[in-house]
Amino acid sequence: MKFTKILALVLSVVLGLGMFAGCGSVNYAETNTEYVIGVSGPLTGGAAMYGVAVANSAQMAVDEINAAGGLNGVMFKLVATDDMHDPTKISTNYSSMYEGGMQVSLGTVTTAPGLEFKNLSADDNVFFLTPSASGDDIPANPNGYQMCFADGNQGKVAAEYVSANFSGQTIGVFYKSDDAYSKGIYDQFKANLDASVTVIETTFTDANTTDFATQIDTLKDCGFIFMPIYYTPASLFMMQAKDIVGASTVYYGCDGFDGIDNIEGFDITTIPQEVTMLSHFNSKATEGKSKEFIDKYVAAFGAETLNQFGASAYDCIYAIYGAMKNAIDSGKQIPVTISASDLCDILKAEFNGGYALSDAVTGDGSPITWESTGYVNKGAVKYVIKEAN
Amino acid sequence: MELILSTLINGLSLGGIYAMIALGYTMVYGIAKMLNFAHGDIIMVGGYVIYVFMAFHNPLLAILMAVVFCVLLGITIEKVAYKPLRGASPLAVLITAIGVSYLLQSLAQIIFGSANKMVTVYDFGSVKFLGVTVQVSALVTLAVTVVVMTALTLFVKYTRLGRAMIAVSEDKGAAQLMGINVDGIITITFAIGSALAALAGLFYLLKAPSISSTLGAMPGIKAFTAAVIGGIGSIPGAMLGGILLGVVESISYKITAIAPYTDAIEFSILIIILLVRPTGFLGKKRREKV
Amino acid sequence: MMNKLKAVRWNHYINYIVIGIFTLVFGIIALTGGRLNSSLLFLLEKIAISVILAVSLSLVVGFLGELSLGHAGFMCVGAYLGGKVSALLEPVIGSGVLNLLIALIIGAAIAAVCGVIIGIPALRLRGDYLAIVTLAFGEIVKSIFQNTSDESFGGALGLPTPRYDKQYLFIFAFLLVLLTLAVVQNFIRSKHGRAVTAIRDNEIAARACGINVTKYKLLAFTLSATFAGIAGVLYSFSNYTVQSAKFGYNYSIEILVMVVLGGMGSINGSIVAAALITFLNTKLATILTGDLAVLQNLLYAVILIVIVVYNNAPKLKPFRDRYNLGVLWNKFVRSRNPAHIKDDQAKWDVVPTKIEMNEVLSIDLVPQDKMEKRNNQSKGGDH
Repeated sequence: MKFTKILALVLSVVLGLGMFAGCGSVNYAETNTEYVIGVSGPLTGGAAMYGVAVANSAQMAVDEINAAGGLNGVMFKLVATDDMHDPTKISTNYSSMYEGGMQVSLGTVTTAPGLEFKNLSADDNVFFLTPSASGDDIPANPNGYQMCFADGNQGKVAAEYVSANFSGQTIGVFYKSDDAYSKGIYDQFKANLDASVTVIETTFTDANTTDFATQIDTLKDCGFIFMPIYYTPASLFMMQAKDIVGASTVYYGCDGFDGIDNIEGFDITTIPQEVTMLSHFNSKATEGKSKEFIDKYVAAFGAETLNQFGASAYDCIYAIYGAMKNAIDSGKQIPVTISASDLCDILKAEFNGGYALSDAVTGDGSPITWESTGYVNKGAVKYVIKEAN
Repeated sequence: MELILSTLINGLSLGGIYAMIALGYTMVYGIAKMLNFAHGDIIMVGGYVIYVFMAFHNPLLAILMAVVFCVLLGITIEKVAYKPLRGASPLAVLITAIGVSYLLQSLAQIIFGSANKMVTVYDFGSVKFLGVTVQVSALVTLAVTVVVMTALTLFVKYTRLGRAMIAVSEDKGAAQLMGINVDGIITITFAIGSALAALAGLFYLLKAPSISSTLGAMPGIKAFTAAVIGGIGSIPGAMLGGILLGVVESISYKITAIAPYTDAIEFSILIIILLVRPTGFLGKKRREKV
Repeated sequence: MMNKLKAVRWNHYINYIVIGIFTLVFGIIALTGGRLNSSLLFLLEKIAISVILAVSLSLVVGFLGELSLGHAGFMCVGAYLGGKVSALLEPVIGSGVLNLLIALIIGAAIAAVCGVIIGIPALRLRGDYLAIVTLAFGEIVKSIFQNTSDESFGGALGLPTPRYDKQYLFIFAFLLVLLTLAVVQNFIRSKHGRAVTAIRDNEIAARACGINVTKYKLLAFTLSATFAGIAGVLYSFSNYTVQSAKFGYNYSIEILVMVVLGGMGSINGSIVAAALITFLNTKLATILTGDLAVLQNLLYAVILIVIVVYNNAPKLKPFRDRYNLGVLWNKFVRSRNPAHIKDDQAKWDVVPTKIEMNEVLSIDLVPQDKMEKRNNQSKGGDH
């Protein structure tokens, strides 16, 4: 009893001290000596591959820009925080970055935490351009923009492809019903699909599921299987299905398939079926800007975490840099201590005013632009990861 | 017909794994009277041991090492975490077990990282059976589970050690007075349970060659559900509950409308069965004495 | 004697006073226009939610003696229902105090109904069986909300809820903590509370004494679920989306850890542990990054095991009696002030409430040493 009393008092003193530290000014960036860019992503946990790729690539872009003299002599600094793909960690991560002087952000790496981030950043008017949080609602507020395709868009493109090629036939869909990414794509896919295509769908719920015998059995006669899921369950499905599903079947995935040919212990060439994906980045590119990025990334961090998330983050940094440079060239002032809110207004004006990122790593080579809704305009690449045997 | 058969076979093979885990739960619960929440995580440890020793490309060695390691681990956990609490309230034991479960998970995550590891133990391939393509590993799982269950039942019924186990489970004090080494019996029970968990880990890897630090969490809970449905403490009950749960899960995933609610359905069955028969299907009714 | 009574009363109210002063200080700062740091505000909200959850769970685990592994399930119900109600009401009455109150009442009421539903199996089941039923309940609730349609509860995308102004929400949160404390503590100190602890210590004996076991078990479960529901509504107000993935059994266990570390059956302990763990969780998350983040879980696991084994192992009892915090504190006080000597009366505070039935038959409600003294006196009288 006595002991708890003391602890309670100690705790209130600690928090009381925190309070005095808390009565600060609104512009937390006023002591900045560099432009501070913040990002929150899963640096540990099951989705760490994505967060690490984003943190690495963004740091690579920042280092390149700084080596070339920064923006009119002012350097950039990247702050990456770990959210473990958990939305409840966002309030802490966001406020620590914002109070640490963050002026512009890459938002979150994944969608679920992004749903929290978009509103917190809207309250303070902090600009964010997310490399990979693809939820349809992520850019709903005026301060949010996406570098990747929105889920609905991916589902729509896939539906158009299927409607054109499989009219009157039966296709299979394997998705995760309780996952925002998977369900977001599949809902739009269903809504845009030609009525003549029959769909057999099957699902799984627990993220740790490794046994897909029942699901495979449901889809075993389909010649085309659409899989809007991440690569880990997809690879397990393929491995278990290789003798059961017909050898001429095509597995068609979205950007979540990225990295499926890079999994340790899984040799995609042992799968007789064809694996195709639709994405905005070709990690097998043999020429152009994408190839340059791949070489640099592999040299610095190895091939294990090379994926479209990183490529997209690399582009995000250059897009923000380019937009800030544009604004300065057109006579706007961007001091190093500019508040996040002021910078947000400048960047919004640039992005809504037709700013284009040319020479990007992602997309099909044409310049990338943004709509005022925050969605991105760029070309998609559909590429075959592995041909059928 | 083909649909029913394939669903049934998938359900049976999944149920076989659940039954294997549930057997471990039920043995430990029946004799040590404690819910070993960490049992599911021993499956995960077994899987990782197999992953490590598969570096030598010898499945038999890897399986052997997994069983040995899990048995040693099970005994250690029992000695360090559970034995000091013998005689304390069941709540304290259960909470300690939860702690051990977390400990194993975070240790595995520190050692092996959080990404899934892939390891192919042995590829049995598949066969055509009455027009249905069946993974041979599923049949192996089922066969081994039936053999293990039978062996355990016979062991408990007809050997000295087995009868000593029954005695301990009936009344620890009386068993001690009859000259039975109660601590020894409980240790042996944990060893058997952990060996079964290692085998369950193997079956998981045979089905899907992927392993992560949370591999055992959900199967552990579902297997416990199975053990409770079958009547905890009863060896055939664990088998029955495991198979039942596996088949239900398989059927539920087959029906598109209810597939997303599969987990909810399985747990609802548990609650309903417990309300109707609080001791499960084959559990013995115990009268509480003052 | 009178002084002693007064001291006991003071102990009863110390937690209200600490939390009250706390709320007052921060509340005045916020209401008089001093803007507080958002990281501090978020932390305060989280602490308030954790404290409500821990105190309400401690009612079932610490006082009723039943293990509930589905506390997050009740919170989930409160969060979704309360969030939905406030989202529906927002266009009509805005997201002000009225909205908050209505959402709180509805969220708490529906969580209470769930408490009754889960309390019914609790009447037939005990111990481990009940633990697994509550765990199953939590998973069922999570699974259902995870797969609702987008229009109803948002399904996989989560339910968007109006977020209450963060400069003021924490004041409500702490007022709700005070409400929770008032209700739970008064319940425990009333005859109902004594009935509940009697059931914990020996259900059959309690029944024999004429205690309505059914009624009290249901009451404890319902009360606990109601406040978990309130915590859920608070959660929905302090977040922009309610996503069901949070409410898995891992979260239930986290709440349980708070109750256990705080000391079972100690409300103040639960409060301190809940605040401390939440504080550490948030602070460690910003300090420990990368692979170190896992160390946090490892640490909790080790602490949990060590504390439970130390506090419960029968063999360590003599050791515990010699080195517990109370004894150390008394030693400390005595070393500072040798004149400060407590009489035996103080021992009554630490008499364990758990009495086994077979002990009841032989126990004489006189402390051992006094008994000996009395015996010696009577012997001396003979001579």
